Formats: sequence, structure tokens, C-alpha cells
Amino acid sequence: MKEKYKQSELRLLPRYFNKIGIGIFLIIGLIIALTLVDILKIDPDILLTITKSGILVGLLILAMTKIKTEDELTLRIRLKSLGFAFIFGVGYTIIEPFINLLFQNSFITKRSVSELLITMLLVYFVIFHSMLKKR
Amino acid sequence: MKNNIKIHRAINDLTQEQLAEIIGVSRQTINSIEKNRYVPSTILALKIAKYFKKYVNEIFELEECD
Repeated sequence: MKEKYKQSELRLLPRYFNKIGIGIFLIIGLIIALTLVDILKIDPDILLTITKSGILVGLLILAMTKIKTEDELTLRIRLKSLGFAFIFGVGYTIIEPFINLLFQNSFITKRSVSELLITMLLVYFVIFHSMLKKR
Repeated sequence: MKNNIKIHRAINDLTQEQLAEIIGVSRQTINSIEKNRYVPSTILALKIAKYFKKYVNEIFELEECD
């Protein structure tokens, strides 16, 4: 039977995806370690791309995975944290050139999209978990 | 919106943990509702009222500021 969609619910990943997310981080760590000890020979630019993509996928999986007790309050906290992270990302993108101007005497921003998304996801995690503790 | 869940819990000799399990939410959610930090959804309010065999407005009450 087709599951009825509820507006008050988010379709999140099952709990075991936590292990998959952590596994991705471990694989990335292993690749970096093997490259550093010269067992694996990967071009630094490719390694950087793999690392950024891996971190992004790992963080996204962790962000979209259910916590132990998922209810309407955690959903609200989740959405608030996502909203805050989004506003932080936009705000940081606007302010960053001025920070660069202040400290590096340059108005040009060199931050890539993946770096910004990683920062936003990290902000999301910090806000989400601190709000979960305070609820 | 204020509520008297704590009183009804005491009458029924229930802990926050037990009520949370019956309603299907976390203990922290019940705690937040009791302390007026979180206003529950209509569904959750109805579930709580149904469990205590009361009308919703016997448990939840609007305040002047609402």
C-alpha cells in the first residue's frame, strides 16, 4: 500500500546510515594517510576534490539521518538549524570579501562552493546538537 | 499557551518518560511542553488529551499574549 505523505514529517534516512557516513570519513582518512606515506599516488588536486566531495557526502548523510528519538520537536529544531545554517552561509559569503580586505588586503574571495557547503553543514551540526541538548 | 500536563501526570502517577513513550515522543519533548518552551501540534495535543480522557481545552489554555 502506498505510504500516505504527512506534511509534518521529513523523509529521513534510517539510523544505520550514521555508520555509512562515518565509514565515508574513515575511507577519506585512509586515502589521505596512504597518499601521505606514498603507498597511493594521487594528484594533489584530485585528492583535494575527493576529500571535499567525501566530506560533503559524509556530512550530508549524517545530517539526513534520523536521531534516536525523532519527533515533532526534533523536526522543528532540525528546520531551525537548517535555516540558521543557510542564513550563516549567505551572510558569510557577503561578509567574507570584507574580512579578506581587512586581513589580506584583497577583496577577492577564493572559497569554493564545496568549502562553503561544508561550513554550512558544520554550522548546522553545531546548532542542531546544541539545541537538542537545550530542548 | 499554558498547560496542566504535570498535574494530570501526577494524578495518573506517570513519569515524563512513561507519558512520552505512550504518546510516541521523547521525554525532552514532554518536558519542553510542560515548561511552556514548546507549543505542541494539534495532533500531539489531541493525543495527550485523549490519553488523559479530557478535552484539549481542559489541558491546554490560551494566555493573554497568544
